[in-house]
Amino acid sequence: MEAHAHPNYVAIWVWLLILALFSVMITAVPMPHPLMVTVVFVVAAVKAILVALYYMHLRFEQLLIYSLALAPLICLAVLLLVLLPDIVYHP
Amino acid sequence: MQREATHAVAPAVPVPAAKLGMWWFLASEIVTFGGIIVAYLVFRLAHPQWLEEAAHLSVPIATFNTLVLLTSSLTMVLAFAAVDRGDERRVATWLALTVALGLVFVLVKAYEWRHEIAAGRVPGESGFWGFYYGMTGLHALHVLGGVVVNACLLIAALRRRLEPIAHRVEMAGLYWHFVDIVWIFLFPLLYLSTH
Repeated sequence: MEAHAHPNYVAIWVWLLILALFSVMITAVPMPHPLMVTVVFVVAAVKAILVALYYMHLRFEQLLIYSLALAPLICLAVLLLVLLPDIVYHP
Repeated sequence: MQREATHAVAPAVPVPAAKLGMWWFLASEIVTFGGIIVAYLVFRLAHPQWLEEAAHLSVPIATFNTLVLLTSSLTMVLAFAAVDRGDERRVATWLALTVALGLVFVLVKAYEWRHEIAAGRVPGESGFWGFYYGMTGLHALHVLGGVVVNACLLIAALRRRLEPIAHRVEMAGLYWHFVDIVWIFLFPLLYLSTH
């Protein structure tokens, strides 16, 4: 682990709270369902990335650790992609 | 760094063994939760009527629990920062808060379950409730596991015996933040995509 200053953990926490409340409030705004779902999950992804990069220190880690986090995510994306046609083509 | 001194021989990989082991474990955890989430997504897309089932869940309670778990990630990472500074008393304070917030999360979850079960919303009712109890149950067990580990570290800190195992606070933190990230996705998956 390289010597690095700790990020501003409290500022990250404030962002996480703002994003969490934002994603709840956005569901009350009238908009098409697919758009709302997209916004909600983009916000969730941003929160997860903030936690992983700053609280789990992935930002300061080496490629080896990065790949341990990314490889299973790629597997999951593939899993979802091969399963989805079952839903799309058999309504 | 003092952590590298724990290697008896020169490490083959430039990462402390504990951290490498923890990330391997987390990689397997990503697939465990990810597999269930992918299965849920496929079933959910195939059953539009689950929307009405999901609408029974209480968004305010889940929002409260989300804030509790996000805050517990902050207290956990502050415990780690205190370890780096060698401030053992602060480590104990932040760990105690993390344990308390973890327990609050589980108690609120238990209250929610009780409420749903009393209303007859049990796994056999529809596939949605099977996934709901399966996913939140597995996650709550992970929170409980983290609470136990953090409580052990807290006891060590209170007895002033944390120093030789202080790097475990970082490892426990990695796990705790992972459990937080799982909830970050379970929250919209189960509660928010209903309207």
